[in-house]
This record gives sequence, C-alpha cells and structure tokens, in this order.
Amino acid sequence: MPRPPAAAPPQPLPAPAKVYLPMRQHQGAVAQPKVEPGDKVTMGQVIGASDDFEAANVQATVSGTVEAIIEMPDPSGGMVPTVVIANDGADAWSEELASPENALASLEEVGLTRPSRLLKRVREAGLVRSQVQGRPLHVDLSPPMAPQSYLYMTGIPVVRPIDTLIVKAVDPDPPVCPNASLLGEAGDTLAVGVAALARISGAKRVILALPSGVDASALSALAKQREWETASVSQTKYPFANDHLMVLSLTGREVPTPYGEPRDVGVTVQPLSTALDVGSVLLSGRPVMERVFSVAGEVKNPGVFKVRLGTPIGEVLQAAGGGPSQAGKVVVGGPMMGLAIYDLGTPVTRETQGVFVQSGPKVRHYADHPCIHCGRCVAVCPVNLIPSELGKLCEFRMYEEAAEQNLMNCIECGCCAYVCPAQRPMVHFLRHGKTEVMAGRMEQ
Amino acid sequence: MNQNLLTVSTSPHILGCTTLRSMYLEMMIALAPALITGLYFFGAPGLITVCLAVASAMVTEYVISLILKKPSTLGNLHVVLMGLLMGLILPPGAPWWLPVVGGFLTVALGMSIFGGNGAYPFNPVLVAWAALAISWPEAMGAYLEPMALGSGDDWMEAETFLMQLKGDIGTLEMFELGNVWLGKMAGGVGTTGTWALLAGGIYLVIRRLIPWQLPLGALIGALGMGLVAVYTDERIAEMGYEEFGAYLNVVWFHLGAGVFMIAAFFLGPEPVSSPVTPWGTFLFGLGVGLMTIIVRFWGSPIDGAFYGVLLMNAATPLLDRIRPRVIGKVVSGA
Repeated sequence: MPRPPAAAPPQPLPAPAKVYLPMRQHQGAVAQPKVEPGDKVTMGQVIGASDDFEAANVQATVSGTVEAIIEMPDPSGGMVPTVVIANDGADAWSEELASPENALASLEEVGLTRPSRLLKRVREAGLVRSQVQGRPLHVDLSPPMAPQSYLYMTGIPVVRPIDTLIVKAVDPDPPVCPNASLLGEAGDTLAVGVAALARISGAKRVILALPSGVDASALSALAKQREWETASVSQTKYPFANDHLMVLSLTGREVPTPYGEPRDVGVTVQPLSTALDVGSVLLSGRPVMERVFSVAGEVKNPGVFKVRLGTPIGEVLQAAGGGPSQAGKVVVGGPMMGLAIYDLGTPVTRETQGVFVQSGPKVRHYADHPCIHCGRCVAVCPVNLIPSELGKLCEFRMYEEAAEQNLMNCIECGCCAYVCPAQRPMVHFLRHGKTEVMAGRMEQ
Repeated sequence: MNQNLLTVSTSPHILGCTTLRSMYLEMMIALAPALITGLYFFGAPGLITVCLAVASAMVTEYVISLILKKPSTLGNLHVVLMGLLMGLILPPGAPWWLPVVGGFLTVALGMSIFGGNGAYPFNPVLVAWAALAISWPEAMGAYLEPMALGSGDDWMEAETFLMQLKGDIGTLEMFELGNVWLGKMAGGVGTTGTWALLAGGIYLVIRRLIPWQLPLGALIGALGMGLVAVYTDERIAEMGYEEFGAYLNVVWFHLGAGVFMIAAFFLGPEPVSSPVTPWGTFLFGLGVGLMTIIVRFWGSPIDGAFYGVLLMNAATPLLDRIRPRVIGKVVSGA
C-alpha cells in the first residue's frame, strides 16, 4: 500500500472556484445559515451559527458571492444544508477580523490572558476535533458542567477538573496521517497552541505522544524546552491511538464506557493538528481556513495536501492524480475506520482526517459464512470483548442480549473484521446492533 | 466528475489475508511432518488408510451437499482436513472399510447433523473415532510394528506401549525414550511422530492459528498430573524408581506415547469445538492434560487424550463464560 511521505511538507492546493460549506461540521445541532443567496461574503465571516453548546460556528473560507443553499450528502449519511459560495479570487478577509486586538502577540501573552477569553476565541473560531461528527473543541476543553448520570455508582468523582493534556502526534488510522505529516511544525504556533490548550483546560501536565521510528527531533526539542513530557508510541500497534486506550496507557486512568469521555477522568486528548490550529487562531486572530490531510491508497501521487475547507473531495483527488476506477471506493478517514462516500462532490470539512482510495478490483467483499468460533477476534479485541458472540447475537437480532454482553463498549476499530478468517462483516453487525439497541431504548 | 459509480460499505475497508481456505491449508501443512513420519514407519498400509479416510470424507460431504441442495464446502478444505485427521488417528493397515466408515461418520455424524462447519459441539473426528472404537474395538486395537523395527518384509502386529503398560508395568524398563519421541513405536498412522507433531503444533502457535494457551495448558496438565500419578503409583515405586529424574522420565514417556501430542496441538484446538477466551482455552488444555494421565493410570487401555478432548468439548460453553474484564467497564461501588 503506498504511503504518503510523512516528512514531506504539505502541498498547498489553490482555492477552488466554488466552496461548499456544510452547516454541520460538528457533533451538535445543525447551524442556522446567516446568509442568503446573493449576499457578498468575505473570508472568515460567520455564515452559520447555532445556540447549541455542542455546535460550532461555520465561517466562509473564500470571499465572493453566496450562490445557493442546497442539501449535500454528509459522509456519515444523510443530507446537510450547505452554503455554496462562488469564489471571486480576492481572498479578502472580513474587516471585523482585521483589527490587531484580536490577536495575541507572543507566547507570554497566553499566560496573562484569562482562560475564559482564550476559550471564547477558540469557540468563535469554530474549531472542531477532526473526526466525523467531531466534538467542538470548546466542549472538549471544559470539564463536565454537571455530574454525568453514567458516573453515579462507579466510584469516580462525578465532577473532576481536567489536569492532564495529551497532545497526540500519532494517527489513529495509519496510512492516513494528518498528525504525522505535521511533525516538522515545531515553531511558535505549536508552542502557543499547546500552552493555550493547557491554560484553557487547566491541565498541569502536558504529555506529547510521539510516533516511534519517525524523526521527531524538532518536536522533542520543543517539548524539552517547554517542559512537556514525551511518550513514544508505536504506530504499528493499531488501534493504540484511540483516545480511551491512549488515556489508559499514558495515565493509567480508565475512561468509563460506553458513554464516558476522557474529560470524565480529568484528561483531554487533542491531536497535533488541533494544537496547531489553536496556535494559528490565537496568533493571527483569524479562523482556520485550511485543513492539512493526506490522500493515501491507489492514487497516482499520494501525498499530504493543504486544502481550503469546502473544496469538493473530487478536486483533491484530481490533484492527487485522479479518482478510482469504476466501482472503486473513496473513504473519508482511514482504511480501518473511515466512511465510504458515494458522491465525489462531498466537501472537505474540519472533520476530514484524510482520504483513502481503493480501485474497483481491490475492494474486499465480505462473506456470509457462519462464525467458526476460532477466537481470533477475541485475541485482537483491544477492549476485551467477545466479538464472535456479539456478531452472532446481532446477526440473529438478539440485540438486548448483545447489549448485556457489553456490545455498547465496542469502539468499532475493525480489528475483529480484519482478522476474521470467515470474512464476516463484524463491524457491520455490531454497528447495526448498537443502532437497534439505541432505537429500542429511545422507544421506552 | 461523477461518471464513475463508487462502492459504499462499512469499515474496515481492508481485510487480512487469512481466509478459511488458507487457514485449513496451513493446518494441513502443519500436519505434514507427522504424516511423513507416519508414512516412513508404516509405508503403504498407512498411506492407504489416510487416503481412504480423506476420500470418504470428501465424497460424503459432496453427497450431503447434493441432498440438502446447499453449495458444497469442499473448496475451503475443511472437510479434507477433517478426513486427514481421521486417517491419521486410525491404526495403519486397518481393514479398508474402517477409514471409509470413519470418514463418513466424521462428516455425517460429526458435522452435518449439527449444521456443518461452525455449528457442531464436539470435534467431529473424535465423534467418529468414539463410534468406531465402541463398534469395532478389535479392528481399532490392531496396530502394526513400525517397518524400521519389524523383522523382514512382513508387517507384524503389535500392541502399543500403552496397552503393554496396562498389562505389565515392567514395559517401562523396555522402551527407549528416544524411540518414543521419534515415533518408532506402534500406534496410529500420524500419532506416533511426537517430534513431528510438536514441530507442526509450534508452527500453528507461531502463526496464531491456534491459541497458545491451549497446548500450554495441556502440557502443564499432563506434566503435573503425571508427576502426581507416578509418585502415588506403588507399582512404580516397587520397581526401584526413586529419584525425581527417574520419575520425570516416566512422565516424558507419557507425553510422547499415545495420542497426547495430536490431541494437544491438533484435535483439542479445533476452532469450532474449543473455547475462545484466554482462560477458557487454558483450562480446556489443562483438562485435556489431566484426563490423558487419569485415564492412562486408572482407566481403560485406550488412550485418554481423546476422552479428555471430548469431555472438554462438552464444557466449552461453560469455559466461554470465563471472560476477561472489558476495558472501560467500571465496576459499580468500587
């Protein structure tokens, strides 16, 4: 499998003629469009916002004219209202953002600014963690507001301040490497970003998780200078970069599942790309307009690209040497956990981690052979489930029984399906079972 | 840009290269050393027995798939592997109908009745073996002297070491440990080559086709129980065995003799009828090891390892309840 060169600097792509900006690039409610067709917009202007705390602002990423508000497919399925902006090529920034008081001048200023002001800045910039239906950063950095019901009776202090920040430079789904491609960027931006993340969340301890076997000397040097702890993490041990597993191995704290989050045990895990985004938002006073991600798999020129948000994925593939052949697969995210899309017009959003391409003949097909009980899935399951049994229960629609066997604790990493010699669609079964369980509980 | 249709499916989008066919093929490759050892010592009679068993199993599977109007599963080699194992545990030079009936019972009684691969509760090979051992005890107990030890060109009938041991404890003084481990003794076609089976088994463990806990449990169980048995057996003490080393030699003999090795590495870890959890597989193996020694010392002259596997097969659903703690599942009231 061709891998993108991890050390190469990202290749910038020109801004497209039209950008498509979905009103949901986050976990919470769909944002309300603040513009109408025909309006002139400038870069950085807020075009979508919502009152929901778990929603993030959406900004225009080019200057130009709003052409239409249409429904576009979302990688996670379903349609999302999307603002289409015709680019006028001027790249004019919004005037509100131009005033220098929005920006911080130096690293020292991070320590002098109140955390709530930094948080407000981050929230206005609409930063989101880069995964499909990602949680907005301002939610991730705040300790839980109220005691979470799932923490009762578990012996964990119900409201716990965040004391540890893990910045992960490893990637959850290896051939797709938004973080590893940024290892060289160990400048002021990163220092400011990490310092701000620590100050906002209140973390005293910063751990930098670096991939082993890759030259990360610049980052190590910065970490030493800034007194961050470093941890070397083997990237070959998929799915080690999963947040919960990383919290367990680096801090020894176990995140309660299925509903818990790292912040429940006082930890926040942020990818390196987020830290850089925070740094650039604070230093420039402007929201992030681009996303750095890799195109891997069967394209002519796999590599790391710096892409304007809202660019259709098809255009990124053109830059990488063309899309897949007939009946191929385009996956947003990595090969193990990504979501296959059916429309190459799907835009790049803040949630995009990378694109993985498979040609038609390479697409693997699952079989409907019965489980042979070999136990290979049990041996590889990172959270100690018995996937073989869960798969059988979900196959035969015994969803509640599966839930009793901890179905909801599955992290959908895909290891069980990968090793299954009978090639059963394990993740499909488990995911379907989870949906059915949730639907059943909603009804009650 | 959208003229191409794209495929959409759930993750993961890449799969490992292990298929059922490759898995069963590798298991057969792991059996090859034992088969070659068996053919070296038992020659043509051994080869005929194995071939008849495999052919019978394949024909049975084909006919059953025709009757049930189901696609034949011969392509994934599972039935071939089962037939091969059936042939390997039969005595070489058995009458022609014995492997034929054995192969038929393996597929029909052991597998198809329960619903085929993935559904049977007991190891099909051992179900067939049990039926044969009960129906034709004389034919199942008629072993040949290995060619290398036999005199002249004729095949001589012989008793296995374990049968002799049951009659006369003095056999312990007659055998050479080296011969036992090399396979120079009477026994099933593929069950005597102890080193060959061990090598194949280690290959399977390294390739992660069987869980390592199972053979380890079997070895620990047999070794531990063997020591207990030899220390408590008065007849062995009367023979003048006193030192630990001498007792250990008796246990080595028991690990090498009979069908313990093929049970620990091939018949016990048969995927469908063995447990999946780490501790479950270990206890399964431990049970096989214990039963082997218990039956040999206090039971019938027929080898106990097979009984051990069948008994533990019955316990598999229970052993599968012994699960590791799910990560993130916080115990309430802690």
